[in-house]
Amino acid sequence: MTIANPTIDIRAPASGRLRSKRHGLNLRSHALLLPLAFICIFPIYWMVVTSLRAENEIFSLSLWPGDASLHNYAYVLKAIPIGKMLFNTFYVSLASTVLQVLTGLMAAYVCARWTRRLGKWMLALLTVTWLIPPQVIMIPNFVMVNQFGLMDTLSAVIVPQIASAFAVMMIYQAVRSFPQELIESAEMDGCSHVRILFGIIAPNIKPVLASVAIILFISTWNEYFWPLLVNRSMENAVIQIGLQMFLTAEGNQWGPLMAAATLASLPILILYLVLQRQIIETFVRSGFR
Amino acid sequence: MKRVSKSDIVVPALFLSPALITLGLWIYFPLVEAAWLSFYDWNMMPTAAKNFVGLDNYKRLLELPEMGPATVNTVYYTIGLLPLTVALPLVIALMTQRLAGLQRNVYRSVIFLPMIMAPVVVSVIWRWLLSADYGLVNKVITSFGLAKVQFLNDPDVALWTILFLTGWKLIGFSTLVFAAAITQIDKNVMEAARMDGASETRLALNIIIPLISPAIMFIGLLTVLHGAQWSFVYINVLTNGGPLSSTTNLFFLLYEYGFGNFAVGWSTAAGMLLFIGFGVLAVGCLRLMQRHATYAN
Repeated sequence: MTIANPTIDIRAPASGRLRSKRHGLNLRSHALLLPLAFICIFPIYWMVVTSLRAENEIFSLSLWPGDASLHNYAYVLKAIPIGKMLFNTFYVSLASTVLQVLTGLMAAYVCARWTRRLGKWMLALLTVTWLIPPQVIMIPNFVMVNQFGLMDTLSAVIVPQIASAFAVMMIYQAVRSFPQELIESAEMDGCSHVRILFGIIAPNIKPVLASVAIILFISTWNEYFWPLLVNRSMENAVIQIGLQMFLTAEGNQWGPLMAAATLASLPILILYLVLQRQIIETFVRSGFR
Repeated sequence: MKRVSKSDIVVPALFLSPALITLGLWIYFPLVEAAWLSFYDWNMMPTAAKNFVGLDNYKRLLELPEMGPATVNTVYYTIGLLPLTVALPLVIALMTQRLAGLQRNVYRSVIFLPMIMAPVVVSVIWRWLLSADYGLVNKVITSFGLAKVQFLNDPDVALWTILFLTGWKLIGFSTLVFAAAITQIDKNVMEAARMDGASETRLALNIIIPLISPAIMFIGLLTVLHGAQWSFVYINVLTNGGPLSSTTNLFFLLYEYGFGNFAVGWSTAAGMLLFIGFGVLAVGCLRLMQRHATYAN
């Protein structure tokens, strides 16, 4: 064999082999992924199905209720102030998200634009807080909320979350990789820091800000530990605490319990349905850099 | 040369202050206060006196009966999660590299789903599925003629149940992180290795795993540093540390000492030890990551 045309010689058999392998791998892939997908989605499906079952059908194993009804939902709406709690959670999540993105953006800007050493130190000071377990600092924080007279208010949930290590870190990386020349030329033109940050940088890193906001919103919505300490009454509680209180009170009312759980996850599930691609991308990209 | 103007000092200060004040007031200050409280005997009542007791709280921890099992369980929760968050997802990601198009997207959306579910909701769902009397899982088990499993009430099983629930949320996420890392590997490198006759196994072990080691390290670090903490919700909602302290861990114990016994001294003293322990672990892990970071590029 001559080496006159090596590309053809090598690629033809290789791609043939690849194609047959692709077929084989696909079967193997399905064999692995189908059980995984089943384990991941079936519990959520079972929650919804149970929530739609009539009382005499709760223990049935059928995959769809004989006559699906919303009576469990009606029961929950009457039993606990679930609308109010969903609104509370929405308010808390939105406020925390907006505040954390804003404070993160401003802090990240300073860290990225200071001298390398000073910036790195400040960034470390802000982000190392990620490693401090909330259970270690819960008592002083609980006492402080009490002293401020914030116990059993939504502010008690929001105020400690005005800033977060996560938001600073994620936004810092975006600001850091923003073209330096653009910032410098804006400075030459006499732009203020406020102008540079909010007029030039922020609009250009909007996708990153949106991604950070999505993660923050979902994680605040799902947050349990801190609200557990400062929520007292259902009226002023977030939905996770409401669900836990309902579970403690009526633990074996499976139908209503599943209806409450479904309502607690519905907003996030709808968000996921709409922004699915972006949400997965965002989480996965923040998982490795 | 840049001229240092007044705004070069005022603006950074203004920009930094919201984040700095928040994190200072709600994390650094409480950390110092917790360290201080660990030397006192106090019951959290604003009117009650705080009595200085020196190292008594720390000495007391050695005698408290729950500390032993809680410490051992914390290790279980930390190490036991790794198969679910690292090993299994890695195997799945490696073996499904070539799934393409629509199928891939459907799988992605489905296996990621647990990640966005609230831990409390997850607890409620699995409490129903695993219920001893009417739960679906036990119905399936008994239909095979096997004995019912008391998933949450058997001291030998409950810890593994909590561990599984904690891992359930993350299997899909880790798989996607590893899959994404694999797709970033230069295709030419893989092709070259294949042409040299490398088997798929050798390819995975000698090329893919080293190249995606930053992602593996990251998920590993996340699991080791936060795994025991993630299980808190499931313990709190489902078992309260029981049966017979079999599912408790140090994070849950801090909460119990603090808000169950109102023993501020015990809780903060144990908290300090936990903080130092995990701090050392974090520094160790980060060192390890930095040493391996050379693989990244």
